[in-house]
Amino acid sequence: MATVVTTAPTRDSGLRQVLKSPRTARILFPFAVLALWYFIYYTIDSRIFPTPQKVLQFMWEEVTLTSGVRYSSVAANLYVQFAISIIRLTIGFFVALILGTVIGLAMGISKSVDAFFHDWVMAVLAMPALVWALFLGLALGFSHLGPILAVILAGLPFVIINVREGVRNTPKELFDMARAFDVPQNKITRHVLLPSLMPFFFAAIRYAYAIGWKGLIIAEVFASDRGMGWTIKFWYDAHRAHGVIGYALFFIIFALALEKLVFDPLAERAFKWRPKVDALEMAEGDFGAVTGEGFLLQESQVEDIVAIESMEGEARDG
Amino acid sequence: MAEIKVENLHKEFGVGDDRVVALENVNMEVQGYVFVSIVGPSGCGKSTLLNILSGIETPSSGTVTITQDNRDAEPGYVFQAARLLPWRTVMDNLLFVQKNRSDATRERCYKYLDMVQLGDKVDKYPGELSGGMQQRVGIARAFSIEPDVLFMDEPFSHLDAITARSLRRELHDMWSQTRKTVLFVTHDVGEAVELSNRILVFAKGGRLEDDLQIELPFPRDAADESVAVVKAQVLRKFEELDLVAT
Repeated sequence: MATVVTTAPTRDSGLRQVLKSPRTARILFPFAVLALWYFIYYTIDSRIFPTPQKVLQFMWEEVTLTSGVRYSSVAANLYVQFAISIIRLTIGFFVALILGTVIGLAMGISKSVDAFFHDWVMAVLAMPALVWALFLGLALGFSHLGPILAVILAGLPFVIINVREGVRNTPKELFDMARAFDVPQNKITRHVLLPSLMPFFFAAIRYAYAIGWKGLIIAEVFASDRGMGWTIKFWYDAHRAHGVIGYALFFIIFALALEKLVFDPLAERAFKWRPKVDALEMAEGDFGAVTGEGFLLQESQVEDIVAIESMEGEARDG
Repeated sequence: MAEIKVENLHKEFGVGDDRVVALENVNMEVQGYVFVSIVGPSGCGKSTLLNILSGIETPSSGTVTITQDNRDAEPGYVFQAARLLPWRTVMDNLLFVQKNRSDATRERCYKYLDMVQLGDKVDKYPGELSGGMQQRVGIARAFSIEPDVLFMDEPFSHLDAITARSLRRELHDMWSQTRKTVLFVTHDVGEAVELSNRILVFAKGGRLEDDLQIELPFPRDAADESVAVVKAQVLRKFEELDLVAT
């Protein structure tokens, strides 16, 4: 008679668990980047490439206004440059979002409207942001309007496409349910259509912001005399890599702060109804065959709650 | 007393070579406190019939009249999948289909959630519930509007046998208490025999082939021999009508 031997898998030691956790990986990443940075610095022969400490010192001086650099009479320091860029981005972002939502909804609802706008949206999507920046610079000169339009043109097609797909993917079965119960149309719009659009709308917001930001910086590099993009070019023209990298890091810090302080809490609130997958359930699903073969899964081994698909994944997929 | 009258109902999909007849010249009448099951092989038009009766789809020809005491009857629907709004709580899902959100309406919703033993889950989202619980919410939702007629489209087909058996008992209790007219689509002959006092047998092509009275006393248990005997009789009838899948 065959004997089944059940053996509990060896539990990782506390240190190994900490090292393998996503939180540890997130903390370790900047250190890995720093290590790579130092490796490159000591490997390549360049008088331009700065050390991390030089960049950090530059950034500190910019933040504390002790660098002694005065960029221009209209935009003297980091804060003013940043404010100019943020205001342009905000205006362009909201215009792209509102206009894109209206067009996207119309394209999703009507085949004729979709056919009318389709090729135009694809054309704008294919156009590199650099071309918009150069064209707008030539057409409008150095002004606020050029960068704002660059934000709009960069982000608009992404908003349109995401909203249109949201309308096309509205859950028909929920509309049928509402019709079967004779629910009035305004209630269906409010409680079925709009909430079902939210994941796509969030993706549209993230794209409009991220792509718009890139369009803005390029426009400011080529067609502006102020703003963060112009400042990067300032340091590039001065052959100061620490300035270029420093201002790039300011973008990254701002983007991460916006993600953590604005987008994540908004998404948390908007999608609080989404189930977090219980790790035990997931393990039972994944290890059903394993338990059948004689492995004993200890409930105490699956303590952490695992969040299902992040908004980043949805933003990527649209 | 609710009354459902279907006359010369015909439903087609597609045109030309792609034309498919889903329902062919169906005539039937259902009235009063009765539990009617509609059974037949896949593709025989069971769900299409229910969708037409509930207003989700329109017939190609024929008439459907559903009345309650000389007025239009109010239907309730339980779907194969619960079709809950995932972004609304259990209570909000019931309130979504109500005419108003008064205190009396909320009390009524609580009552039906208690009947399906989910009174303590009113603030949960559907994603936090098991499949069986979600289906119970769907049943409570349908009953909570206190419809004149209840349409149920294979509501237990996605559930495991134990959960389905438990829900069949709960459904029977609710039907006994509320005394509704129920039309219940199923492909499971045993389920039809367990729940119904009448079975309409449909064949592929949407033809109504037979109308069987099931005169076993309630409550019935699927494990009872009497249910098994009647189930066997019904299955033999299927064979006579050449409805067994080939």
